[in-house]
Amino acid sequence: MKVIPIFAEAGITGFESPAAEYKELGLSLDQLLIKHPNATFIGQASGQSMEGIGIFDGDLLIVDRSLMLKNGDIIVANFNGCFVCKIIDKVQARLLSASKDHSPVNISPEDDFQVEGIVTRSIRLHHKSPELTACML
Amino acid sequence: MYALVDAVSFYASAEKVFDPSIRNKPVVVLTNNDGCICAVCPIARKLGIPKFESYFKIKWLLQKHGVVVRSSNYELYADLSERMMNVISRYCDDQHIYSIDESFLLFKNYGDLIKDWHQYGHEIRRAIWKETKLPVGVGFGTTSTLAKAANHAAKKLPGYNGVAVIDSNKSAHAILQQMSVSDVWGIGRKISKRLNSQGIKNAFQLSTLSPKAVRKEFSVATERTVNELNGIKCISWDEVREPKQQIFSTRSFGQKVVDKYVLQTALVKHGSIVSKKVRQQSSLVKKLLIFASTSSYDTNYYKQSIIYQFPVATDNSCDISSAISSVLNEIFVKGVLFHLCGVGAIELESRHFQQSDLFMTDNSNPALMKCFDKINNRYGQGTLKMGSEGQSEVWQMRREFLSPQFTSNWKDIPKIKC
Repeated sequence: MKVIPIFAEAGITGFESPAAEYKELGLSLDQLLIKHPNATFIGQASGQSMEGIGIFDGDLLIVDRSLMLKNGDIIVANFNGCFVCKIIDKVQARLLSASKDHSPVNISPEDDFQVEGIVTRSIRLHHKSPELTACML
Repeated sequence: MYALVDAVSFYASAEKVFDPSIRNKPVVVLTNNDGCICAVCPIARKLGIPKFESYFKIKWLLQKHGVVVRSSNYELYADLSERMMNVISRYCDDQHIYSIDESFLLFKNYGDLIKDWHQYGHEIRRAIWKETKLPVGVGFGTTSTLAKAANHAAKKLPGYNGVAVIDSNKSAHAILQQMSVSDVWGIGRKISKRLNSQGIKNAFQLSTLSPKAVRKEFSVATERTVNELNGIKCISWDEVREPKQQIFSTRSFGQKVVDKYVLQTALVKHGSIVSKKVRQQSSLVKKLLIFASTSSYDTNYYKQSIIYQFPVATDNSCDISSAISSVLNEIFVKGVLFHLCGVGAIELESRHFQQSDLFMTDNSNPALMKCFDKINNRYGQGTLKMGSEGQSEVWQMRREFLSPQFTSNWKDIPKIKC
C-alpha cells in the first residue's frame, strides 16, 4: 500500500529565544592564555622550588618561545640536558628559585644552557584531571 | 624572487626539540617498522653514519658511537611541521608547502621592500629556530628550481652557513658549478646517468645546453628545468600542486600475518587511508589495486595482486572496503606468512568532471563522507572507522624506540624541573 505522508500542523512550536541573534562563539581558554600558538608549548612543573611565586608541583606551565627575554622573567631553560623552570638573573648569570630551601645556581661557561622560552601562565588543577593523572606520579 | 626553506634532517631535529638530553648527541630516526635509517642529524653525519642503511646492518656502528636511535614519531613531526610552516608564512606573500619539511615562498609585492636577501634569509632562520627550535636552510632564487639549488648550497656547500642567494648570473654560476646534475630539482636518476655519459656532470653544464635540443632528447619537463636554471620561470604553483595520478598506502607488518581477518583489517585500513586522500584532492577511484606478499627474502616467495574495477568511480570508504573484502579470498592463502600488504588507487577520475552513467546510479554519498572526515579531523583519526578495520591493530607497525607525543597527548607533555 502506498501512503502519501501529510504532516499534521498542530501549532506547538514554542518561542524562539530572544537571545538567538546574540549568540557568539563560546569562550576559548586557548585564545585567552596563548598569544603565539606556533611558538608555545605546554609542560608540567615538577618540584617545590618555585612555590614562592605560586608554581606548585603538578601545575601546567605555558611557555612562549617568541618573547624577548627580560631580567627577572620566569623562564624554562635547557640546563645541562634537562628542562628547568627558574627566575633568570641576567646581571649575575644566575638561575634563582622562589623558595628558601633552594639557593641560586650560577651559570658557568661549562654548563650547557639555552633559554627555551618564557613562562607566561601557570595553571593549577584543583581537581585531578584524568588525562593528566598518568604523569602526575 | 622565490625561496625554499627546509629543515635540516627534520625527523632527527624534531626529536631534539622536546628532549634536551639528546640535543648535543648523535641521533638517527628509523623508518616504518624500524627497518631503515631515514634521518641522520648533523652530529651523527660527522661520525659517518650513513642514511638509508638497514638498521640491523649497522646496529654495531650506532652502538659504538653511542648514537641515540628513535622510531618515526609522526604525531610529533606533524605538529612541529605545522608550527614551522606557520612561522614561515609570516615572511612571504605566497607560500606553497611542498612536503612535511619543505616550503616554497614567493615574493610578489613585498619583494621590493627587502633590501638584503642574505640578511632576510638569516632573519627567517633565526625566527624558526627561536620559535620552534628547528634548524633550517634557506635558498633564494629567481625561479623555483634556482631556489631549490640555492637551498642545496645553503645546507651542503661550505661557506654558506644556512643561507644562499641566486640573484645574478655570477651567483648562479658559483653555485651550479659545485652541484652535480643529480642534485638538480626535476632531474631523476635515469636522466642524470644519461647526462653524465655525455659529459654533463654539473648543474652549470646542464644550464648551458640548448633547451630545444634537451626537449628533443629528453622531455618537455627537462627542457623546463634547463630554462629555470637560466632564470626563466616555467614552473607555476598550480603545476606543483597538480593532483596525484595514483595514491598508494602500503606497509610491511610489525610481525608476520597468517590470519585471514587480520590481513583483511590491514587491507581495509589501507583502503581507508587511500580513500581519504582521494577525497582530499577531489578525485574518484576507478581502479583499485589490492595486494599482499611475503618477504622477498623468504624462500617460498608469494605475491598476489588483484585489480578491482568500480562500475562507477567512487571516493566512498564503504565502497572501497567492500571491494577489498570481496577479493580477499583470491589473495589470502592458508599457511602463507604475509609480510607486506597495500592498496593503491591506480586509476583516478576528477569529481568535478564526472560523466554520470545513464544506467548506474552514483551511490558515493559525498555528504556522508564529508561528515565522516569532519568527525575524524576534529576528534582524531580513527574516531569513526569501517567495521572491517577491526578494533585492535595487531599488525601495527613496530615502533620500538618511539619518543613521547610531547605536543599531542596530555600524558606525554614535557616535564619541567622546579
